[in-house]
Amino acid sequence: MTEVAPIKMPSLEGKRLSFALAEGRLAHYPEFRDFFVRTFDLDRKGLSEPGFVRALSGNVYALIFIGRSGAPFPSGLEIYAVVDALEPIDGGVLDHDLWSILRWMIGGVGAPWTVEDFDRTGRLYRVPAASSP
Amino acid sequence: MTIQSESALPAALRDRWPYAPRYANVNGWRMHYVDEGEGDPVLLLHGNPTWGFLYRDIIGPLVSSGRRVIVPDMIGFGLSEKPTREQAHCLDGHTANLTALMRQLDLKRITLVCHDWGGPTGLSFAMSNPARVRALTIMSTWAWPMPPAEFHTRIFPWRMMHAPLIGPYLLGNHRALAGRGVYLSVVDRERFARTAQAAYEAVLPDPATRLLTWVWPRWIPLDENARAFERFKWLEQELSSSKLPTLIIWGREDEVFDAATFASRFKQLLPHAEGPHLVTGRHFLQEDSAPEIARLITSFLDRLDGDGASND
Repeated sequence: MTEVAPIKMPSLEGKRLSFALAEGRLAHYPEFRDFFVRTFDLDRKGLSEPGFVRALSGNVYALIFIGRSGAPFPSGLEIYAVVDALEPIDGGVLDHDLWSILRWMIGGVGAPWTVEDFDRTGRLYRVPAASSP
Repeated sequence: MTIQSESALPAALRDRWPYAPRYANVNGWRMHYVDEGEGDPVLLLHGNPTWGFLYRDIIGPLVSSGRRVIVPDMIGFGLSEKPTREQAHCLDGHTANLTALMRQLDLKRITLVCHDWGGPTGLSFAMSNPARVRALTIMSTWAWPMPPAEFHTRIFPWRMMHAPLIGPYLLGNHRALAGRGVYLSVVDRERFARTAQAAYEAVLPDPATRLLTWVWPRWIPLDENARAFERFKWLEQELSSSKLPTLIIWGREDEVFDAATFASRFKQLLPHAEGPHLVTGRHFLQEDSAPEIARLITSFLDRLDGDGASND
């Protein structure tokens, strides 16, 4: 089952972007950067708009791509939960959503990276989301 | 932006770490270190994701044997300042941080004891400052370009653990290395969980403070395009011509830097070295064999003193 899917930019009226996770070196393994370029058409769109995905909970997340002089774009990525402006975020839901987004990413990056290895790594380090249905 | 977490050390742990905190400014960063005793200096260097606490049961015996013991916390770990940007960290920068501290303290006749990333940083310091260094003790580390071990080339669990976005999530949000990672790499896990684990977790209380735990793995060269490839090539070359008295100590149960591969390779690089002495221990062998390690180092230094060996 696909738990996470890219969506078009939603209305951000009455919302705020709540910081969730940052990666400063997206191309440490270049295939990860390639996945986001491919999925969000970044060679054409560049910095013009964030990417958006809907996660397992139904919550929407904005993917803000970061450029860095001298490095292929995007060099970094920040993930934000799109939430009601004045409402706190549920940490447990956020963690499960991040897990599902990363799992979706690994599936998209493809071999030799596998969702099975991702799940095994999560279980080895006892990440709660890795053992949840 | 930086983070200072000294106040995060619980009172119960301060009893087990009674040493006066000292600070030096190195390359613009605030470095915490311990400086105990008098005599020829012994420099104890930790790696990822530990701090000086790793040597808590080794400091006392070395001081009692008549040595001055210096234990710095690497910038990004322990009670030192913790930069929150990945770009603040590089292998040469960490070596330069250590060099700055050694020059500020104007230490000479140093016996350098290194473990994990304390190896590449400390040995790079030693090879570039030979007049200050008297001897080496090497434990569970490496000093050559590639590959460090088959373990480091595998996706599960090593490369997956620090992969883009997964590193910040797993090692940052979920403290995978500073918590369970160290726990899995000691022999007596029950004792470690009861007496030590909290000390490693307490100084890295928030995801941003754990940055270096996933940045360091990314500096391990896996191919010749790696950022640190040339530095490790230089380091191996320099070590191969080093005549410094050297002691090699390794954990018998070390599965990450296994003795058969790593201790043997150091012995090939430094054929005059004593050892390898195998002690009970996985990667964090100090947790299981501190008294024995202290005895081995003290005995090694006593023999050097008896021989009158000196780099002066």
